[in-house]
Amino acid sequence: MAKSVLVVGGGPAGLAAARTLGKLGIPTILVEKEQKLGGRPVIEDYHTLIPRKMTPQQVIGPFIEEVQNNPNIDVKLGVELEACEGEAPNFKVKLSNGEEHEVAAIVVATGFQHFDAKRKGELGYGIYPDVITNLELEQMFSREGKLYRPSNGQLPKRVAFVFCVGSRDRQLGVTNVHCCRYGCALSGLQGTEIREHYPEVDVFCYYMDVRTYGTWEYPFYWAPQEKHGVRYVRGRIAEITYNPQDGRLRVKHEDTIVQRPAEVPMDLVVLVLGMEPSEGTKKVAKILGLAQDPDSQFLVPAEDAGSNIISNKPGVFIAGACKGPIDIESSLSEGEAAGAEAATFIGAKVSA
Amino acid sequence: MAIHERSLVDPERVLRKERLVIDGVDVSGDWNLIILPRVINDYDLEFLDEVLQQPEGKTITQCYQCSYCTASCPVHNYWDERYNPRHFIYLARLGLIDELQKRADVMWRCVSCHKCTHRCPKGVLVEEVLKAILRVMAKRGIIEEYPSKKFDKFFLESVYEYGRIEDGELLFGWVEKQGYQVVKDPILKKPIPFVGGVPDWLKQLAAKPLKSMNIGFLVLNAKHMLFHPRTKNWNRFKQVLRKVMEEEGVFTH
Ligand SMILES: Cc1cc2nc3c(=O)[nH]c(=O)nc-3n(C[C@H](O)[C@H](O)[C@H](O)COP(=O)(O)OP(=O)(O)OC[C@H]3O[C@@H](n4cnc5c(N)ncnc54)[C@H](O)[C@@H]3O)c2cc1C
Ligand code: SF4
Ligand code: SF4
Ligand code: SF4
Repeated sequence: MAKSVLVVGGGPAGLAAARTLGKLGIPTILVEKEQKLGGRPVIEDYHTLIPRKMTPQQVIGPFIEEVQNNPNIDVKLGVELEACEGEAPNFKVKLSNGEEHEVAAIVVATGFQHFDAKRKGELGYGIYPDVITNLELEQMFSREGKLYRPSNGQLPKRVAFVFCVGSRDRQLGVTNVHCCRYGCALSGLQGTEIREHYPEVDVFCYYMDVRTYGTWEYPFYWAPQEKHGVRYVRGRIAEITYNPQDGRLRVKHEDTIVQRPAEVPMDLVVLVLGMEPSEGTKKVAKILGLAQDPDSQFLVPAEDAGSNIISNKPGVFIAGACKGPIDIESSLSEGEAAGAEAATFIGAKVSA
Repeated sequence: MAIHERSLVDPERVLRKERLVIDGVDVSGDWNLIILPRVINDYDLEFLDEVLQQPEGKTITQCYQCSYCTASCPVHNYWDERYNPRHFIYLARLGLIDELQKRADVMWRCVSCHKCTHRCPKGVLVEEVLKAILRVMAKRGIIEEYPSKKFDKFFLESVYEYGRIEDGELLFGWVEKQGYQVVKDPILKKPIPFVGGVPDWLKQLAAKPLKSMNIGFLVLNAKHMLFHPRTKNWNRFKQVLRKVMEEEGVFTH
């Protein structure tokens, strides 16, 4: 029997791994615990993706199609990895639908979950309807096609983005000290979208420092300010309150450039959420005995590998946001790399 | 009680009382110091719009507060910390008008050397942007007209009136404008040079060139001071000039 590879997780990273393996003619099993492929961007209806300003369907759709149409790939939806015995290249895996398979290598691409904004109670999420998350803003755009204040359905006059909610924050414990990596750039894009469609709405970004990596700097930091009039304020919002007199929120912060506390009215506040390892990632780490960062619980690559897709367990490869915040393009290329690495791993054994 | 971070506290927000009774409790002594809160309550976002309407103001949105401009500015080194081009830009962009106002008396000290503009990595025309900010502030009446501006206006008025410039009259007229007591001739009401409360340094300054002037020229000058000549047909040209100036918004009288 030809040796096969198991890919866990059908998000960008898992899809790319399965697609590469399938193209190389390797029998591949792709398990995805949801009923749909595509990972967070597809399942949760992101609107427009950084950096190419395309929809999830445009970016991830072709990968989904190729994976579904490749006879080498066996896609199992609503299925999770439950147990694993043995060592590479003879893993015996048990799935949640009761099936058992023998595989020679495993690619883990179990992704992340969004930070729960209720944990930062001072920001008023879950208390004031006009405090929403950036995920909800994406869904407002993609599902309803318009911008409004949840409290009264009207167009906000002012929108504030609060950067780094659930990221770079030791108050949450050591688990959330990392940078979410996409937040600054996505806010630049969302701010731009708002200003393009509603030029009368003022947009403010409250930041500690702005991290729009590499080539994202111009389109998602400068263009929003220079072309679209998004305003950046240095100073992190510490508290959000509500003023019943005018029905508007008040964002309390210190403007650290002016060195002055401020309490400014806003109509809609968008919390820029950090990423945490998904439940699936933590579960799979236990099942396979993968090394995890003691603080964040994200998976960590083998120390001596010099590559971030090689795990501490021979024959197990890790890709995408299960290792920490990462963008979609990088998740896709890591998935491809992990797929190729898995292929050479089993190929080497075959020829030996 | 000592105030920490004294530099952040504006003097007008510090209240000190000899005796202080709050809700019937005497809190005089160590607790007699109150610092009023200073909170920004809102932005004035129209200020930026107005700056952007000035042709020189357009690049203001390109600034990312790196501070290359301020660090290279020669005036910043010689003035107090309130003179900070980068900061003016930030305040103008958010419309923090009261903060701008606090700096109104130093903002005009820019010597237009353009070092800032040449260094700015974002291509902000810093010097030009500052002038645009100043113009908007002046338009709103936030900023007092600064001395060089006042002189420009006086100069302009003189040209507008006669179609030419008479150095002596300009000089002593300006001295009068500065509030010095000058003596005027009884008929034409023109200031008579060197007489009255003219400061000594100015007398010296004005006397120096006199020593080397030939007599004919001196007489001519004195005559012109009393009987100010006009450019020929100036009255007709004045009408046209006035129209143009009004259209350009240079002045309105
Ligand atoms: C609000 C928001 C907006 C974003 N916008 C952008 C953007 O515009 N551009 C960009 O580049 N990046 C963006 N990102 C980041 C992007 O979401 C991630 O880079 C990407 O989703 C990571 O892909 P992944 O495949 O590693 O993980 P995921 O997308 O999380 O996919 C993991 C998949 O694995 C499945 N799974 C988990 N556990 C198991 C298990 N035990 N068994 C089987 N299946 C399992 C999950 O159901 C999921 O489908 C955004 C992130 C957030 C939070
Ligand atoms: S990408 Fe921006 S918003 Fe996200 S954690 Fe980093 S600095 Fe904060
Ligand atoms: S040098 Fe340019 S970008 Fe930097 S603070 Fe000055 S104006 Fe702004
Ligand atoms: S032009 Fe003005 S602000 Fe710029 S460096 Fe010179 S003095 Fe400073």
